[in-house]
Amino acid sequence: MTSYSVNMWPALEVARLTFERLPSLAESTSEQLMERYVDGEAEAFEFLYRRVSPNLMGYLLRLTRNRERAEDLLQITFSKIHRARGSFLKGAPVLPWILAIARRSFLDERRSAQVRTEDLSPDGSLPEQQHEERALPAELSDALEVALDRLPETYREAIVLTKITGLSVAEAATVLGSTETAVKLRVHRGYNQLRKELEQYSRTP
Amino acid sequence: MSTPKPGPLPELADLPWAKPECREEVSAAIRSACTKNLCPVQRMSSRMRLTLCIAASSFVAAVGYWFGARHNRSELGLRMGLLGALGWAIVQAAVLFMGFGPPRGRVSTRTVRLVLAVAVPVLFLGYLTFSAWSFVPFEQFSHGARASHALSCGSVALFFGALVSGGVLLAWRGTDPLTPRLSGTLAGLIGGVGGALAVGIGCPSHEAWHLWVSHGVIVLALGVMGCLAGRRLLAP
Repeated sequence: MTSYSVNMWPALEVARLTFERLPSLAESTSEQLMERYVDGEAEAFEFLYRRVSPNLMGYLLRLTRNRERAEDLLQITFSKIHRARGSFLKGAPVLPWILAIARRSFLDERRSAQVRTEDLSPDGSLPEQQHEERALPAELSDALEVALDRLPETYREAIVLTKITGLSVAEAATVLGSTETAVKLRVHRGYNQLRKELEQYSRTP
Repeated sequence: MSTPKPGPLPELADLPWAKPECREEVSAAIRSACTKNLCPVQRMSSRMRLTLCIAASSFVAAVGYWFGARHNRSELGLRMGLLGALGWAIVQAAVLFMGFGPPRGRVSTRTVRLVLAVAVPVLFLGYLTFSAWSFVPFEQFSHGARASHALSCGSVALFFGALVSGGVLLAWRGTDPLTPRLSGTLAGLIGGVGGALAVGIGCPSHEAWHLWVSHGVIVLALGVMGCLAGRRLLAP
């Protein structure tokens, strides 16, 4: 009996220390959530998903400009994250890691779409590309999206990553495979262009 | 002093950007796919991966030494080759630790790895130039026994280099979505240097063209191949 109690206390102490050391899921950083997800904690994935998916969906939607494609890519990205969770290196920042996977999925999908056969319209002709010039909507947030849509892709991506997703310039540069100076330049030029586009909005009563 | 005129828009980050969300059924599908039968994943630590890479390089160098000893290469030549290989093994280990050790995504590591990707082939070609004892014109080198020896030596170096590069790529498979091409290039260079030196231990030729073509070009070729393979193997 005595030996039982003697052996039991250290085990309890270790369990208590382990429990105390782990922060609650809501307080955990994305990196800690990722670690716990890799260790098999399903609830950690729920928290990680809730924290990351709005940013990821926003990024993909602004890249693809199509909700269905963005949702498809979101699923593809998360399935890749799930499969590659074992190769996530301890200490690596999670959001740039996930955004880089999403970006590569988008680029792969676009590359395969370029060789995909086009669906014919019922009369047997190729559907015409629509290049409509949309007027800026009355709501500022909608007007922002339309103006952002009109920017060249490189400027748009840099603005989305740094100003909307909240990455630092350095992190955005790693996701885009570019230099910090180039990203700063793209954001600056994109912002100037966005400002010009939105002047029309600010002039409307 | 006039006050600056306020611009038409506040700062970009303060603008009312829409926060789009995907449909609930899509979210539910993702959640269920990613949490169904979720169990802990056995992960290989960075230290373990680095150790595996060094072991692959050492194995190839040992094969090169055995090959040289078996083909009656002079003891001085073997010793010199082994010393060079040991020196470059330190460089290889440093490239592995600095290039693959720190987690990708930190900005400083990209700069360090870019510098390594340029410095390693330049230094290695410089080393080969200094270790050349004789020089024959390219016309003489490109014909006859010299050319066939260069071809066979280069093929073996390429084979050994590809073995090491493949080992490094496999050890770090799926770990780098951010800069897979750069990491692949480093893996190719590490393997190329390993293969060239392993063959160099047993290679009796110290002619400049031979060293550049059979041992130097291999490093560059494997760097390019690593860059191409990195996109496929290192990105998840």
